[in-house]
Parts: sequence; C-alpha cells; structure tokens
Amino acid sequence: MIFTLEKTKRTPSVELSEKMLVVKGECYPENIAEFSEPIMENVQAVLEKARVFDVIFELIYFNSSSAMFLFDLFNMLDDAAGNGCEIAVKWRYAADDDSMEEAGADFEDAFEHASYELEPRDEI
Amino acid sequence: MMHTKDFHRLLIERNTFFCFSGPLSESALSAISDAVKNRVFEASDKRPLATKIFAIFIEQAQNIIRYSAESIAADDEIDAMGIGTVAISGSDVGFIIEAVNPIHPEIIPRLEKNLIELQAMSGDELKVAYTERLKSGPPEGSKGAGLGFIQMARKCDRFNFEFAKDNEGSTLFIFKVEIDK
Repeated sequence: MIFTLEKTKRTPSVELSEKMLVVKGECYPENIAEFSEPIMENVQAVLEKARVFDVIFELIYFNSSSAMFLFDLFNMLDDAAGNGCEIAVKWRYAADDDSMEEAGADFEDAFEHASYELEPRDEI
Repeated sequence: MMHTKDFHRLLIERNTFFCFSGPLSESALSAISDAVKNRVFEASDKRPLATKIFAIFIEQAQNIIRYSAESIAADDEIDAMGIGTVAISGSDVGFIIEAVNPIHPEIIPRLEKNLIELQAMSGDELKVAYTERLKSGPPEGSKGAGLGFIQMARKCDRFNFEFAKDNEGSTLFIFKVEIDK
C-alpha cells in the first residue's frame, strides 16, 4: 500500500496501491483541504507511473465540499486516461439508494477517456 | 422570557426533535452528528430517507459555520464558529430541516436572486445547475461553491426561504427544507 487512511466518522477509508484506489464510507470532513490534498498528491504520483489503474468508490454519503474534491479527482483520473493510462472507475451504491445512484450519474460528464460504471449492490 | 414549560411544549407542538442554537464549529458538528444521526434514523424507518435528512442537516449546519454574519475565528480552522440555529422536525408528510442565521445585508440581493432561480428549476435543470457549478468551481469566498444549496434543492421536495429583521436590528436568513416520507 502506498497510502492509506482509516475510516473515521466523517471520512472514508482510502487505500491506494500502485494499481488501485478504493474509497469506502461517508465523506464530510471537518477540514476538506487537509483531507483531500494528500490523496490528490499521492494519486497524482501513482498515475505518473501507472499503465493500468482501477478505482472503486463505495460511498454512503458525501457533502457538497466533498463533491468538489471528487470532481477534481475524477478530472485528474480522466486526464491520465487521456494520456494513455488504462483507467476504470466503478461507482458502487446500495441498490435502494436513489441519492447515491444519482450522485454517481452526476459525475458521468467528468469521464471522456476513462471508463466509468455505476454498480448497484444489494448491500453496501 | 418564555417559561421553560412553554418552551418544552413549543418544541413538542412543532415536532422539533433536534435543535442546536448558538456558535457552531466543525468540531462541535462532529460531536453532535452521531446524536443527530441516531435520532434521524430512529424517526425515519428507511436508510435512504434518513441519509437524505442527515445530508441536508449537514449542508445547513455547514452553511451556518461558514457564512453566518456572526462568527468567531479560531487558531484551528475546525474550531471557527458561525452562530445560528438548526432544527429538525417531523411534519404531517415527512420532515423539515430549518436553519436560521444572521446575514450581512449586502449579500441578500444576490442570494435571493440565486435562490428564487433555484426554486423555479425542474429536476433536470437542477442537475444542469449542479454540473455547471462543479465545473466552474467555487465563487470567491465560498468553500462549497453554492453547491450546498443546489444539493439541498435536489434532495428535497420543497424549500422556502426568508430574510427577516429580528428585534435587535440584524437580518436573519431563514432556510427551510422539506422532505416527504
């Protein structure tokens, strides 16, 4: 693992390796800059060397400040995909959760080069 | 001053099962959010509904922290405070999440215009407003990019707002969001 963050009440677990990023939980940090900056930096560094990179998001809830962070992250991923890295992003959500399904669909516009899939699950 | 028993009655009559009034900071919000979450999940049997109510509560609270005209700075950002009131109540059809905070009069015209526009938008138009705002980034002085209001507008069934003069001469911004069961 290159970078990990343990889940807290207000922030998701984050696991970053050379090939994969997994983010799970709720996201409404006390300090969005403090939370997001190390993630962006570390992901950027990984993307510079990666040829293939998978991303899984399993969020139950995120606030509007986090939406901006997610959008920036997705743009970074899509840029890397535009530069030749093979990137697949999965947005997982509980099948009965309209809000998270809609939230996932909202980010579709950010992806022109990377693949982006919404994945309903029976349980999150 | 209102008698305590009348205050108690008042909260029961308006079905207000959670209320916070005073200086709110991110660290205070962290401290109370479990209590709010538990209460909201108790009151609303379905998880997606409870999460929606909670989501709106967080946006309302964070707007107070960041934008209340009465604020108290701190060394640590998470202790910076905005003064206001946020309340969650049950209604005949669902839930109401209200926020009140003092507001600087200069920002009223633009805020009012934005909110009137939001109120008139359909679900599809709100989605467009949301994606546009994500792409264009935060306006100056904003951490949430006005996204907070757009997100609340999308998640709720209706919202109302008002600018009211209080007895002390300051202007209060009242934002009331309703979610149906």
